[in-house]
Amino acid sequence: MDRWQYIGVLAACVAITLPLEAVVGARVYRQPARLAATLLPVVVIFAVWDIVAARRAHWWWSPEQVTGVWLLGLPIEEWLFFLVVPACALLTYEALGRAR
Amino acid sequence: MPAEYTAAAIAAPVAVVAMELLALRTGLFREARYWITVAIALAFQIPVDGWLTRAGRPIVQYSGDAVSGIRFPWNIPIEDFGFGFALVTLTLLLWRRQTQRAKVRDHG
Repeated sequence: MDRWQYIGVLAACVAITLPLEAVVGARVYRQPARLAATLLPVVVIFAVWDIVAARRAHWWWSPEQVTGVWLLGLPIEEWLFFLVVPACALLTYEALGRAR
Repeated sequence: MPAEYTAAAIAAPVAVVAMELLALRTGLFREARYWITVAIALAFQIPVDGWLTRAGRPIVQYSGDAVSGIRFPWNIPIEDFGFGFALVTLTLLLWRRQTQRAKVRDHG
């Protein structure tokens, strides 16, 4: 179970914010092209920061608490983090726009 | 000289704010819902990041040389909030720019 620790946190973030799209009416996942155009530079910029910081040993990950899939020196969870957290923020922002 | 992550966690929010004020000018910072979104995002960062950095069995560990050593709340390095603010703000800026571009395309 341990290796699902980090990815489980991300799954919880997606699950908790999903009603903002499905119920409240935020339109984020339903604008995939706009979402992709927004996320691409975000992922590139923050992944570069993350890769450099990991190389310089600013931080590291518990090998037992990640799935073990790595990409360019980062656990796959880090890449997913840069998609999930921005998506959660956009859902919040768009949900607040619906409420007005 | 601040530690490297400390310096980066200050520089990143400054850079993102400067990008809006000097280049993108989307008007995001004049919107109440932007500030509410940031408040909600930083509030949710506490349980999520708190779990990732929890004392005893952290999922992410930090070099003492890279951080200020200030950890609040729980065991979260204070720097993570600069990282989080920059991540969320950059995302919302680019999203808003996309929205404005689409409006120009549709109605301009």
